[in-house]
Amino acid sequence: MGDDKQTDDVQSDLSQATESLKIESEQKDGDSSKGDNKVKIDILLKATGNAPIMKKKKWAVDAEKPIGWIMEFVKKYLKLEPNEKLFLYVNQTFAPSPDQLVKNLYECFGTDGKLVLHYCKSQAWG
Amino acid sequence: MANDREVLREIWDGKLPICFQLAQEEIMEIQQPDAFYVMVPRLSYFPLVTDKMKRHFLRYISQENSDSEMWLDYNGQPLKWHYPIGFLYDLYCGNDPQLPWHLTVHFTKFPEDVLLHCTNKDVVEAHFMSTVKEADVLKHRGQVMSTMQKKDHNQLWLGLQNDKFDQFWAINRRLMESHGDSEGFKHIPIKLYSDDGTCSQRLVSPKNNDGSRKTLQQMIAELYPDKLDVQLRTHGIVIPTDTPLQWLSEHLSYPDNFLHMCVF
Repeated sequence: MGDDKQTDDVQSDLSQATESLKIESEQKDGDSSKGDNKVKIDILLKATGNAPIMKKKKWAVDAEKPIGWIMEFVKKYLKLEPNEKLFLYVNQTFAPSPDQLVKNLYECFGTDGKLVLHYCKSQAWG
Repeated sequence: MANDREVLREIWDGKLPICFQLAQEEIMEIQQPDAFYVMVPRLSYFPLVTDKMKRHFLRYISQENSDSEMWLDYNGQPLKWHYPIGFLYDLYCGNDPQLPWHLTVHFTKFPEDVLLHCTNKDVVEAHFMSTVKEADVLKHRGQVMSTMQKKDHNQLWLGLQNDKFDQFWAINRRLMESHGDSEGFKHIPIKLYSDDGTCSQRLVSPKNNDGSRKTLQQMIAELYPDKLDVQLRTHGIVIPTDTPLQWLSEHLSYPDNFLHMCVF
């Protein structure tokens, strides 16, 4: 567990990471603000069931991003095949709609300043 | 709860007349298809009520598109199938009622960036059950849904799908009970939509800090401190602002156990 903790503490910016993964990223606006003024939310991605563990679990993500965007990111990060499924759960209870915004989930289900999302490759909680 | 069972019944019986028309560019026959008129429950979802309509139009479109996913738009605005029908109407026609509601049917150019895919009714069921679970986490920390049996979950879904009030409410009443010594839910499952359809979800308690029942007006003052004269519409009704939130949640929630309200 000690090893896990180290990687947990290193926080990364999800939008930058995805750019390096060549996922379609947020539109780069001409000015130099580079999205720094955007509200970021800390999310913690936890594997469950048969899903591989992510080396980096804690990410800062733009509050306005939809959950579907995070699902795509995790799929790329884990290098899943296009036909492989990925399920995300909040509170280990329900699967949010892909168009649900991260800020809405954080507002209602965030704990200790972050939103915990469990992911797995098969349906875990109904 | 449910002393006001008649209110539940009235909400359940709410229907909308809809006039479906096939998009002009989809028509491959010389003969123009007739419009398809149907009354649909406000509480339902489009994929649950459009089988017959789809069959009606299929024979007028190009054969190669007959297996592609159908989608709907109102006035150029694609309609999200995972929102209840009545809510969609309130969102787009609330200020300017139009009956019947004229919708356009498409089989090509699926708007990938706007709509989620819905290949069959199982997808609707999964979305519905997940939303009920989310609501129960807010109301009872998820305890009611997790102690129910699979057949109870099925009954909720079948009650909605088959438009059976008694079947649905025999189970749903358990989700509308208050737990412990507290009267009321832990939080009120509520989704608030601005007129562009953006959804905002906030943690709302049914009580004020002094323990009194929170009214809609008090919630509006908390959530929109800068705005004057905010009104909320659901089920075609502008809700009186002195209505207690707990009562609203028990009686005017959609079957997914959320209040879906348009802010204007």
